[in-house]
Amino acid sequence: MNTTPTRTDNSALFAVLSSLADNKQAVGRRYAYWCNGAPALEAAVAAAAMAQDELGHARTLYPLLDDFVQAEAEPAQVVPETRTLHYHLAFLDYDFAGWSDFVATNFLFDTALTTFFEAAQNSTYEPLRQRARKIIQEERIHLIHGEGWVRRLGKSGGSVKRTLAASLARLWHETLCWFGPDDDAVMQRLYQEGVIDAPPAVLRTRYLHKVMPTLTTVGFAVPTTFGETTQQWEITEALPWSEWDSVGRRLHASVVDA
Amino acid sequence: MSEALTSDAVWQVYARRKYDEPLHEIGNVMADDVELAKVYARSIYDEFSWVEMVIIPRASIVTVISS
Repeated sequence: MNTTPTRTDNSALFAVLSSLADNKQAVGRRYAYWCNGAPALEAAVAAAAMAQDELGHARTLYPLLDDFVQAEAEPAQVVPETRTLHYHLAFLDYDFAGWSDFVATNFLFDTALTTFFEAAQNSTYEPLRQRARKIIQEERIHLIHGEGWVRRLGKSGGSVKRTLAASLARLWHETLCWFGPDDDAVMQRLYQEGVIDAPPAVLRTRYLHKVMPTLTTVGFAVPTTFGETTQQWEITEALPWSEWDSVGRRLHASVVDA
Repeated sequence: MSEALTSDAVWQVYARRKYDEPLHEIGNVMADDVELAKVYARSIYDEFSWVEMVIIPRASIVTVISS
């Protein structure tokens, strides 16, 4: 029996799923480079396990793209092997310069993606809801790993701490931008349709709530403040939206390289 | 940076596959941070679906008999 599947027409969801899949794929590939180059055998095995998880997450997300009307224009773009679009962060365009880039990606960016998946645990889009729960479960270990290494390198002080601070700083703005501007049409639509349970500004606040305690513990200075009345972390520096590529959900490469 | 990336603390890893068998030593991991030690133990010794896994700092082991 030949049946034609009904495709969903939702450009916003298609765009975010593309970004999630590409970022997971890119993170997995960058992690994989460190499977035999991490500072210790234990860290190498953990890197391998996390690389496997990230690539697995990408592999479960890419097939969803084929369910959308937006895939019809360029069918090759929904297949990982033939996809030429790369909607991952500019930070992930190149190999990690060192272990500190691995730790920064693990702690900052992977946690941002997990914040999104947590917002999709009760999504109206069932395929994402199912995947989100599994991904969140696996990401708990990734966060513990990231926090552990940030604490460890941070407490080392001197050049070690400065190197990690530089990696964190290069990734900081682009990670916060990934959620989109407060009025981001894409994320706002997902929120209004119940795909996620919060708009971009709230996702960013939730994210800061997750990462700031560790950053504060080891004294990494990032432009945030804890509002005594709101009891929430707030960004004190304008994000570089003029450099934001809303299609690729990334900053222009020149900003990240600077 | 290499000194900061190496660990001196050793954690003994114990696990069991069934509730009716005792925990037994399956290996060790090196980590300065207990949370990292837990991540390492899980990722390195993942050959079975353990029902329980614990880690114990080697430094806390007290020798009773040593010949």
